[in-house]
Amino acid sequence: MDLLPDRVAWYVVGPLIGLLVAGMFALANKPLGASGAYVQTIAAIRKRASEPWRAWYFAGILIGAVGASALQGKLQLRTGYELMLDLWSLPTTVLVLAIGGVVMGYGARMAGGCTSGHGLCGTSARSVASFTATATFMSVAIGVTFALHWLTGGQL
Amino acid sequence: MKLAGLLFGIAFGFLIALGGLNEYEVIHNMLLLEDFQPYLIMGSAVAVAAPIVWQLERRGWTTPFAGPISPGRSRVERHHVTGSAIFGTGWAVAGTCPAPALAMTGSGALLGLVVVGGLFAGLMARDYAEGRSGPGLADLDLGMRTPSEVGAET
Repeated sequence: MDLLPDRVAWYVVGPLIGLLVAGMFALANKPLGASGAYVQTIAAIRKRASEPWRAWYFAGILIGAVGASALQGKLQLRTGYELMLDLWSLPTTVLVLAIGGVVMGYGARMAGGCTSGHGLCGTSARSVASFTATATFMSVAIGVTFALHWLTGGQL
Repeated sequence: MKLAGLLFGIAFGFLIALGGLNEYEVIHNMLLLEDFQPYLIMGSAVAVAAPIVWQLERRGWTTPFAGPISPGRSRVERHHVTGSAIFGTGWAVAGTCPAPALAMTGSGALLGLVVVGGLFAGLMARDYAEGRSGPGLADLDLGMRTPSEVGAET
């Protein structure tokens, strides 16, 4: 199927995401943070979740992405990191991505949120901590990406 | 609430994939300042959500699940800055963040699983580092450090 374009314009996707963010505040005073969903999913597996709905939210993100990708005609097994695999072997790429994931998780837990929790929800609620967190991870991520670009001779 | 969580997740995952935010190259190019669509998506999302939240607060909206609306906010503390700097480093390396990594995996990108696994490990590692492992995990809604921080910190 190819019913939807690969990338729908920002002025359609962005405001709809904004409605979700506002909607969850309106429904239950809760920020729609993805890293919290990871934490609660682990907790749910251990049967200790304080907010079980976040585990359902976690599952929902996966389901929604499967649905959208199917409608975009993009649902197919692939590595997802072809650009990196042009540069490094598979084991090296896996190692780099695992380290990236661990570092991201550690930092998100420490900061109390990630791109969605602080970047979308906290900022929408006018939280000073979230503006600070967002400015910090945006500028650091841009800096590190430029460093990677330079270190790999422009390949990444 | 579980059903709401599932439906909001489905919608969010759908929109992430629709915007192409689940592609490594889109996020990588965003951070190389070559693709501004992701910034516009984030910016317009906040531009839509913030006035709604503000108006709901002003009009004393009562939420169906949790009483009067009161999105939590927190003052800036060191851990927000340090944690975000660490997070930003991982974000740049993996070229995806927690929700898009899930959406990436959902679209069939197998290496997205590696990032998702790493995220689980990293989130748990920080919990252990803070000495809040074991039974304490039940309390670990991200940012449930104090009740006043609930909103901003998940």
